[in-house]
Amino acid sequence: MRILLISHIQNARQSLKSSRLRSTLTMLGVTIGVASITTILSLSSGASQIVSDQVDALGGNIAVIRPGTVSNTPIDDLADFPTQQNFAASTLTETDIIHLQEIQHVTGIAPIIILTGGVKANSTAPAGTQIVATTPELETVSDLKIAEGQFLDPHLNTDTVVIGPQLSINIFGTEQSIGKQVSIRGTPFTVIGILKRTNNPINYNGVDFDNAVIINKESGRAISQGALQIQQINIRTDSVASLDQVIIDINKSLLKTHLGEVDFSVLSGAQIAQPTNRLFNAIAGTTTAIAAISLLVGGIGIMNIMLVSVAERTREIGIRKALGASNGDIVAQFLIESLALSIGGGIAGYIVGYLGSFAISTFLTFDPVFNWEIAAIAIGLSLFIGTIFGLYPAIRASKKDPISALRQYD
Amino acid sequence: MTFAKTPPVIELRDLKKRFGIGDAEHYAIDGIDLTIKKGEFIAIMGPSGCGKTTLLNILGLLDSEIDGEYELDGRHVASLSSRKQARIRSQQIGFIFQSFNLISRLNVIENVALPLTYKGIPRVTRLKLASKMLHNFHLGEREYYLPHQLSGGQTQRVAIARALVNEPSIILADEPTGNLDSHASHIIMEELSDLHKRGNTIIMVTHNPRLTTYASRVITMLDGRIDTDTFTKKPAKKRTKRPLGAKRKKAKA
Repeated sequence: MRILLISHIQNARQSLKSSRLRSTLTMLGVTIGVASITTILSLSSGASQIVSDQVDALGGNIAVIRPGTVSNTPIDDLADFPTQQNFAASTLTETDIIHLQEIQHVTGIAPIIILTGGVKANSTAPAGTQIVATTPELETVSDLKIAEGQFLDPHLNTDTVVIGPQLSINIFGTEQSIGKQVSIRGTPFTVIGILKRTNNPINYNGVDFDNAVIINKESGRAISQGALQIQQINIRTDSVASLDQVIIDINKSLLKTHLGEVDFSVLSGAQIAQPTNRLFNAIAGTTTAIAAISLLVGGIGIMNIMLVSVAERTREIGIRKALGASNGDIVAQFLIESLALSIGGGIAGYIVGYLGSFAISTFLTFDPVFNWEIAAIAIGLSLFIGTIFGLYPAIRASKKDPISALRQYD
Repeated sequence: MTFAKTPPVIELRDLKKRFGIGDAEHYAIDGIDLTIKKGEFIAIMGPSGCGKTTLLNILGLLDSEIDGEYELDGRHVASLSSRKQARIRSQQIGFIFQSFNLISRLNVIENVALPLTYKGIPRVTRLKLASKMLHNFHLGEREYYLPHQLSGGQTQRVAIARALVNEPSIILADEPTGNLDSHASHIIMEELSDLHKRGNTIIMVTHNPRLTTYASRVITMLDGRIDTDTFTKKPAKKRTKRPLGAKRKKAKA
């Protein structure tokens, strides 16, 4: 049986080689399909990876509190993706922050309050520039790096601001903007620090720090008529070991102040990256489904060419049957041929897909990811396509009557 | 007579083959009773359309939709699965066609090795056996030629080599010399005659009455029935060489 299989493979190689152009073109259909799927998957997992990596890089002692509960199904999550700029009022309040400070082992609490509004200096910043109101602890909790100057300081005047390097270029025309004045929602602030460039527009804070202005919580309250919407509270504990206990304590404390209503979620580790990852996975899933259509077209191409090949080789089928090939042998012969086409196309597509995603990633802030899942998907899909679309022509070939097959002239 | 003691290889009882249905119904073979014994060289003659080729196809298990009984080596063919039938074709029957029927994109040695594939023999062994067979037919230098690069006689010799490479006990030849000139025909017939002398059963369909001189029994057919059945000479009694297929059976036991 094994020897027969080897013979079939040798045979398939030979017959594919004898019509090289046709085989190559047929494979190309599968190659394009698999290549686009590989590109999409590798880039989207690259994007998800970036958030997870950031969380990992912070060390295992970070917890994040977000308003609302986190659903467990990806579909719900997608339908109700917690954007940090939700219109609904946040359930997290400043009172919560005060209570959190009483919890043991907590070394840093940084609320993130995202406001929008006009940011102006020499020129106006693009609309949608994020104004982050927070406490000075954000620097250590979220591990922000300062390129020049200093971060917010409780001992300094509240009308100070730290800005992202790209925003500095956008509104001042230079990264050296310390001491200059910037108007935020009409209120003048003095720049005291420039953040180091991160090139990380996607992160768990939901803030592109390269393009954001960071102000004190108090100034934030002043420019937003006294009401603060806390989008997220970042917590740092003194050690990794104490994180679990801290999370339990936070839950207890918040549950008490929220009158037993679970309208918040405390996340740690991989959970923090989850909403972002889920969004990317959903986008990837949708685009993959579209790419799968091209794979389907490739599969139909295989079926088409196999049907032609069966018709062309009717006489050969007759000869083979006369020489002792069983129906199963004929099915195997043609099925292996179509599998060779689809797997060949799949492997080529996997390689082309990675070349493509590396080419695209030079324009993006993240790199494609190599993992066995993508390879398995690429090969699995091509196997599937080859079997599904090869089976009918193969069965049709095996059903040919040897006598009439022999009578056909080529 | 020693001949009577040899067991029948093929036994047909009231064999019928119908084509078409209803008004178009037509019996290509209309009741044939025939017993073929081991070592016979049968020439089947008859006008076109008398059912010779149909009979040969049935004998070769290419056509199993038949009425009547066909016993091959004592087994009822009707009861055999298509897989079993394929195995019998692979191991016991060798086909020689008028139009050679080599696979045009395979070279000579691969064509000859083809039947061995379905016996599950590894490639290297296959090519060795095929090469040996081709040397027997003095085609050793043509191994890597493609079929269209050979003359008609050479092509048919390749086809015979292919039919014999599995060491079948029955050889079915459908007008093996139909496409050949008289010189090539003579060579082919000598080869068949030699096979017969080694004890193989040969059933040959032909139009050419001169070829019947090689045969031990001549059957003429007319309208799907056997018209005449004559034994021209005794089949080979003395086996000077080991018959093809004998080794196989021994190995199996």
